[in-house]
This record gives sequence, structure tokens and C-alpha cells, in this order.
Amino acid sequence: MRWQLYKKDPRFVFLSLIFLAVLLPWLPLGASTNYVLRIMTTAVLYMILALGLNIVPGFTGLLDLGYVGFYGIGAYTSGLLSIHYDLSLWVILPLAALNGALWGTILGAPTLRLTGDYFAIVTFGFSELVVLVLRNELWLTRGPMGLPGISPPSIFGHPLASDWEFFYLILLLLMIVLLVVTRLQNSRLGRAWFAIREDEIAAQCCGVNLIRYKVTAFAISASIGAMGGAFYAKWFKFIHPDMFKFWESILILCLIVFGGMGSIAGTMLGALILIPLSEVLRAVLPQGLFNARYLIYGLVLVLMMRWRPEGLVPFKRAQAKKAKLAQERLEI
Amino acid sequence: MNTILKIIKLSKSFGGLSALREITLEAKQGQIVGIIGPNGAGKTTLFNCLTSLYYSTGGQIEFQERPIVPEVAETKRRLIKSCAMLFFVLGLIWVPLFWSSIVPHTFFKVEVVLLGIFILSIRFFLVRGLMRFQIWAWGLIFVFLISDLWFSIWWLTHLLSLGPMIGTGIPLYYFTVPWGIIAGPFSIYLISQLVLRKVRQLYGFRLGPDAICRLGVARTFQNIRLFFNLSVLDNVKIGFHVQMRSGVLGILLKTRSQRDEEGLTEKEAFKCLRFVGLDGRAFDLAGALAYGEQRRLEIARALASNPQLLLLDEPAAGMNAQESSELIRLILKIREKGITVLIIEHDMKVMMNLADNIYVLDYGVLIADGTADEIRTNPRVIEAYLGGGTAHAAT
Repeated sequence: MRWQLYKKDPRFVFLSLIFLAVLLPWLPLGASTNYVLRIMTTAVLYMILALGLNIVPGFTGLLDLGYVGFYGIGAYTSGLLSIHYDLSLWVILPLAALNGALWGTILGAPTLRLTGDYFAIVTFGFSELVVLVLRNELWLTRGPMGLPGISPPSIFGHPLASDWEFFYLILLLLMIVLLVVTRLQNSRLGRAWFAIREDEIAAQCCGVNLIRYKVTAFAISASIGAMGGAFYAKWFKFIHPDMFKFWESILILCLIVFGGMGSIAGTMLGALILIPLSEVLRAVLPQGLFNARYLIYGLVLVLMMRWRPEGLVPFKRAQAKKAKLAQERLEI
Repeated sequence: MNTILKIIKLSKSFGGLSALREITLEAKQGQIVGIIGPNGAGKTTLFNCLTSLYYSTGGQIEFQERPIVPEVAETKRRLIKSCAMLFFVLGLIWVPLFWSSIVPHTFFKVEVVLLGIFILSIRFFLVRGLMRFQIWAWGLIFVFLISDLWFSIWWLTHLLSLGPMIGTGIPLYYFTVPWGIIAGPFSIYLISQLVLRKVRQLYGFRLGPDAICRLGVARTFQNIRLFFNLSVLDNVKIGFHVQMRSGVLGILLKTRSQRDEEGLTEKEAFKCLRFVGLDGRAFDLAGALAYGEQRRLEIARALASNPQLLLLDEPAAGMNAQESSELIRLILKIREKGITVLIIEHDMKVMMNLADNIYVLDYGVLIADGTADEIRTNPRVIEAYLGGGTAHAAT
């Protein structure tokens, strides 16, 4: 009976996963608890980033190679604000998101007229540009010296220090982002994005203003990325331009491709599998072969392309599932 | 009955090939107007021009007595072009002069040169935008013109305080004064021309496809363009896009009005699906439908935007006799709702049953129009369809 429920509604699966996640810090893992928690915090952070990026290539169908630029902008916004003004995390997060959205709009408004590959190249250039600015504008970012000494976030005057506190914080952020993304997906806006993804000409003839909705998608995606960056700066307490290199964009894109472009569950699943995989490989592989873990990443992706070319949860199946759920809800 | 659509001498050429030549067409409220013609006659091009997917190169279109593609005289086009070119050339002079007079010590810095090239290229692209009647170009050119005007005034008032031009020793005002005298009045002239409403009347902005849809023109496509990976219901809901209002903030906060709107849309979408007889399949993916059903879904999606004018591009293509007779009934039902239908069709049986008025295109030229019977017996139509030799053989 219970199992039937699980099979019927993915929300039950999701809720039980959340339950597990909340329990995680209290499982008897012994000395490695903090290690596991840190890995899981990273995984959830990448989930947030992947959910944010998913809006552009997944929902709207535009290849975005410069996502990490917004991540970096968010991180530096957060770092600079907390160093110079010592603001609370709850002020910094929205400000970072706003800053991300601002840059997303500035980048998107003129370039979203480009199609396909040309747009991807522009976004790639943007992320490189962000790194260059972060590296060279010493007066603002201290350049290659990085930004050390970012104060930890505090809640009700209690500064967060232990790993489980950060883990809960990022879980909370994930919930917020998830709420935002699902609401967007099931709305007028989300449908307009899907329409653009499926067929631009038909979307236009249904009254969807392409530029406007593409820019909106880009800005929202950027603001989620910036929010992830803001958390990252507060968590790591040190940021450096090299942390926001192009490779990160590709990694996040891999998570989406692996999980299934355009499906929220798939995106999260991708991050949940691939990010801890890197840590597992770190433990499993011998010291000399340590850097070969990216090779295994590549192998996983190649196998993926062979067996499930549309990702773990293909967009099509996610949509079919959604429709079925809607039908059941209507019939009850 | 009042005229809902009026196409006057519409032309469209792709480079040297003219796909449409001075087409004149009229549709009255509640009519079904057919457009026929051999392959490559320009029927779909006409639809694309009507929905702004293509920008027509001449002529005008009026929908409900409102020009959606306004007439732009060739002389005016040329005037805009020359004005825009002049503006660009002035920019060529403006940028180096600006740097050498305002901040002389930075003149040879790489960043400054790059910035100058950047500004110049923006000005150049403005010229292209202007020629395509794009709104953003008008907005940007306004900013540029005001800056030009300001600098010309500044230069004229600071005549003697300007030093020599860098590296040459020639006094700068030899260049700046004539430029100020030309650019000042020129900017004033263009700015006065750029008051938005006036521009719309004079030069005509083109409405984009989405704006056309908002006005009440919906269409289907020759090769089905559904959102195949979405459910049937979602496809129709996207059709309701223009009738919905909710924005990002409303969606994120899930305000009451947004929820109400969503519920109402769902109800209306079901009504739309029932109208075309697809309500039983609302929760299937659109790609899983049969061919005839996909055609009907496309019509439902078009109807969802509450159009006054519906453009159907070969709706009966690839249908069997029973399906096409169902389609005829559907189109008649649409007409009963008071929607004017413009229909391209090859199936003459469908056309003869439906159309009040038929227009025949051949090689982009309108060769005949009239009722079905008139068209059937028109020798030019027979010639176009069967070829010249056969027509002679028949007579």
C-alpha cells in the first residue's frame, strides 16, 4: 500500500529523501560524520546551482556556458558585503541574487538575439571576463590574493560554525530554490519557456515575446547562481578568482545533462550522484591516479550517452509524469 | 459586414526573387476566405507576412482598420537611410575629436581606442537597426543624438580654449566648429523627428509576431509545429498566454489572482479541447497524438488566444476523407463563433465546400478571385494548375 504511494507520486519519494537528509547529521557515522556532511553540503550546493542553470538550457533551450560567472559575482558580492559592511546573511542573499539578476539582464538583453552556438560563445566569454575582472581589479577584489576572512553567517546572533549547521542552512536554501523553480515551471512563465524550447516560431505565434522571456529566464537563472555563490563565500570563508573558472560551468552543465535537461528531479539527481562520486573516487583511486577521476567522469557521461541519451529523467518523461499527476488530482 | 482584413499591394522579395507581387486581398467579418495556388505560389509566404514572421518589402496590411504593416514610401526609406549614414559618418569624426579635446592625455591608450571603436560600432549597428525599423534603434539613436547636440554646443561655446590637435599642432577648432555647426542642427532635426508616436505614423514600426497574436490573429502551420514534448493541455494553455497577466512576482508569491487565473485558464483550456473533440486526451503528450488529432490540437491552440482572424495553413493535408469532412464541420463551427477564417488548401473538395471567396495565387501574383464556381471555370486558373499546353488542348 505504502509502496504504491511511492510509485504513484514522486513527492513522497522526495519527502522521504528530505527526511533522510535532515536525519543525516545524527546518523552514527563516527569520525567521518563531518567529512560526509561537508561532501553533502557541496552536493546540495551543486544541486542549487544545477537547478538555477537548468532554467536556461533545460527550460528555455539555450546553451549557457557562462553560468559560473554569476556564481562568482554572487560569491564576491557576498564576500565584499560581509567584509566591508558586515551585513547579515539574510540581507546578503537577496542582494547577491539581485546583483546576479542585474548582470544576467545586462548580459542577456543584447546577446539573447543571437541563436544557438553564438549565444553559447558569448556566455563563455562572459564567464572568462568575470574571472579576469576578479583577478585584475585589485582595489575591489584584491585580485589573486583572494578575499580571506569572510565572517560566518549568524542566525539570531549565533554564528554558524559546525558542519551540520551549514548543512541545514543549505538544505533550507535548496527548499527555497526548489519552491521557486517548481512554481515557475507550472506557471505562465514556465510554459512560455517550454514553448521557446520546443519551437521558437510557434511560440512567437502564440504571443510569447522571445527576447523578454529569454531575458527573464537568464536573469532568474543568474540570480539563483549568485545566491549559491553567496552561500559558498559565507561557508568557505575565503574566495579566490580561480574558484570560478570555466571548468565549473562545464561541471554544472554535466550535472544537468547527466540528470536530464529540463526536469527538476533529474537535475537534482544528477548533482546528488556526480558530486559525491568525485569524493568516492578520491578515496578509491590510488594516490597517483587521483587526477584520473575526471577521466571516470567522462566515462560515466559517455556511457550515459549510450544508454540514456536524454539523461536519467528525460524531459519528455517528466512532462508525461506531470500530466498524469495532474489527471489523477483532477479525478480524485 | 465590415472588412476585418485588408491587404493592399503587399510585396515580398527575397533578394532578387519576388515571392509576392502586389497582392491585394480582403476578408469580411465572419467569412471563410480560401487561398489556393500551385506549389511555390507564395501562399505560405503571404501568411508569414501577415503574422510578421517575414517583414514584407512593400505594401500595407490593415487589420480591423488598424495598419499592422504600415505603408512606407520608398522615398522615405531612402531618406532614413541617408540620415542614418550621415549619422554614422558624423560619429567617425565625433569619437576621435571627443577624445582629443576632452581628455587629450588618454588619446593613445589601448582601452580608449577600443572604447572608441566600440562606440563607433554601436553607431554603425544603429544604422542597420534604423533601416529595419526596429524600436531599440530609435531609442538608442535618441541618446546619441542628444549627446551629439550637447557636444556641438559645448564645442561652439569653448571655441578658443581648445588646444591644438594632438601630434599635428593644427588648432582643434578648425575641425570642431564646422562639425558643431553641422551636427547641432542635424541632431535637432532628427530629435524633432523622433517623437515616438510621430515616428510610428511616419515610418511605421513593424509589430512582431507576438504583438500580432495579441491583436487577434492566430495561425496554424503547414508542417505541424506543436510543442511535442508537452502535454496536450499545456499546449493549449500556452495558447492562452496572451490572455493571462501574471508576472514573475505573482508567480513566486502565488498570489490569489495568479491562482484564480491559473484555474480559469485550465477550465477554458478544457473548453477549447472539447470544442475540437480532444478533451479525452488532455493529459497525453502532444507527440503521442495521431496526425489528424495533432492538426486539431493546433487549431485548438490557435483558438485559445481568442483570435478575430484565424489563418489555417493546409489543415486538411494528409487527411483521409472522413477526417477532412470532420475538419470541414469544425471550421464551420469556428465560423459560427464569428471568427473570420483564412485558409490555404490543396484539397479542392474542402475548398469548394467551405470558402465564400477564393483567391488564386501563381508565382506570387494574384491571378483570380471570386466564388468557388467562378474560380472553377476561370481559364487562367486552369492554366496555372494544369499547365499552358493542357489548357489549350482542353479548349
